[in-house]
Amino acid sequence: MVSVWKSFSVNLFGLLRVGTSNGVARLALPSSHPILSIRVRGEGSSKSTWSQQQLRDNRGSFFHIWCSKYGSISSTDTYVNGGDGDYRGKRYLELTDQELMRQCQLDTFKSSGPGGQHRNKRESAVRLKHLPTGIIAQAAEDRSQHMNRESALARLRTLLALKVRNTVDLDAYSPPKELLQILPAKSTIRGSDCGPQIGPKNPKFILGMQALLDLIFAVGGSISEAAKFLGLSTGALSRLILSDDSLRMVVNELRISKGLKPLK
Amino acid sequence: MRVSFIIGYGVPKFSILLRPHGSCYLCRPMCSSSTSALTTSQKPRTSLFLRPPTHSATLSDLQKWQNWAKNLASSVGSTFVDLDNGPDSTLLRRELKWLVEDVTEDGSISAEQQRNIRLRVSLEELYKLWKQRIEERRPFQYIVGCEHWRDLVLCVEEGVLIPRPETEKLVDLVADVVSDNQGLREGLWADMGTGTGAIAIGIGMILRSYGRIIATDLSPLAVGVATFNVQRHGLQDVIEIRQGSWFEPLKDVEGKLAGIVSNPPYIPSDHISGLQAEVGRHEPKMALDGGVNGMNDLLHLCKGAASMLKPGGFLAFETNGEKQCKHLVEYMETNAGGIFCDVNLVPDFAGVHRFVTAFHK
Repeated sequence: MVSVWKSFSVNLFGLLRVGTSNGVARLALPSSHPILSIRVRGEGSSKSTWSQQQLRDNRGSFFHIWCSKYGSISSTDTYVNGGDGDYRGKRYLELTDQELMRQCQLDTFKSSGPGGQHRNKRESAVRLKHLPTGIIAQAAEDRSQHMNRESALARLRTLLALKVRNTVDLDAYSPPKELLQILPAKSTIRGSDCGPQIGPKNPKFILGMQALLDLIFAVGGSISEAAKFLGLSTGALSRLILSDDSLRMVVNELRISKGLKPLK
Repeated sequence: MRVSFIIGYGVPKFSILLRPHGSCYLCRPMCSSSTSALTTSQKPRTSLFLRPPTHSATLSDLQKWQNWAKNLASSVGSTFVDLDNGPDSTLLRRELKWLVEDVTEDGSISAEQQRNIRLRVSLEELYKLWKQRIEERRPFQYIVGCEHWRDLVLCVEEGVLIPRPETEKLVDLVADVVSDNQGLREGLWADMGTGTGAIAIGIGMILRSYGRIIATDLSPLAVGVATFNVQRHGLQDVIEIRQGSWFEPLKDVEGKLAGIVSNPPYIPSDHISGLQAEVGRHEPKMALDGGVNGMNDLLHLCKGAASMLKPGGFLAFETNGEKQCKHLVEYMETNAGGIFCDVNLVPDFAGVHRFVTAFHK
């Protein structure tokens, strides 16, 4: 073994301690993401606002991280500047690349030896660990270090959308704008001011995807229930979910854990 | 004000700042005919990905080549790793994928394609190139004639050092200091021993219409490649390439530089023979060998920087690692006559102390 992952923290402020590690889950990725592997680790907590719930699917491999709307903010969370005491997973996705990067530990694949001019090896793999959530994204297939970092960051955003849940108050539910924007035009609650429907290839899609997952989790995986809140037919919402591989996978993991049939 | 004046009239800043009387290199159209007119530079070989797809092969012949190449890569196993810490099969197969990316129009070979696939080199050449990669350990970057570095694709060929991923950070260090320092952002910078022009182009992308960069290299081959890369990135009004040894071609800007950056040769002479084959057998010694302890050029640059930089000027050098970094810091703090301040050690992405930065008082 001549190579090791070398940790090099770029985090300059205090870390949010979220308790002990509970395990490592592997997320199989859609073919559109040419990823070597992505690992998602959920971490539990007893005293912070974070908690984690294991979704008991038949592989027993999934974790979701829940953000409470009502918990207090840890004093170390200097990156959240909402100021309303409302700490939500959505905020991670609203951070700029630089701000998100500051919350991450950057690992690079380091070979033994002096490096620099001594070496000609394209070990430009990058692994990002998002410290507040423990979510890890990595990229190795690009030809430069710089591009791998960008790919890893883009994947981290997708994973944050898929894995970090915000609580939803169903009694007073009104879908946020970013969710309305990914709905098809036939939705009865979608105003014309939402513009054309945003598809999975648009970077803004993940914000809507996160809000959609929040709702689907709140209604326990029932597509027909969620569809009612969105002014859509069950079929139309199913088609939306099936249009993105990672979204479909997370919804189906949830449905299986609730004893429901997976969407096909 | 000064910036808006210059942009408004479209006058290259160099002609005002540096060469008020003599012929202006940057005023001439930057095309290959004008560069070949310079006796000091040579026209570089065209990278594979920039060649027109004038060749073709049948899908089955190409797949046959790909399978042969994969098998050759797999047969290497960990032989090169054990020998001199060279690439293993996994890395070689990844390089093979990149080679396919560069020589095909679509960037891949798939069964859905037409029977005839257009190629940027002949099938015969592909066999030859992959053989060179495995049997001669010819660096992949010389095979395809380019290296992906930061968000740039830089042309490179034998005789010119392949830019390393570690060096990407030098550009970030400059980006950091210019972000809140207008004097540095709008000043004149120098990249000493530019090679492919990588650092100069990286910085040029940041300074754009504000500052200017002079990139020097002793090697006429490097001057040719750097000139080509600068042009390809449309930075000919920002970066000027000059041929010569270290500060020799910069006599007219003594005491005027806002910043000096360099990745000079820093490998100790007695390490050269034990280098990984791709490096030791194929890359220019001139760009690697830094003398007995590897510090010859670093110290020379450090001494020169004292008189070349203007007050408040910045320098950033890449080194071989912690030992050289410490040596350099010690030199700057004790032997340089108190000229430098804020001397800093900066680690690379792998955590190795790789860079020294400092300011001129």
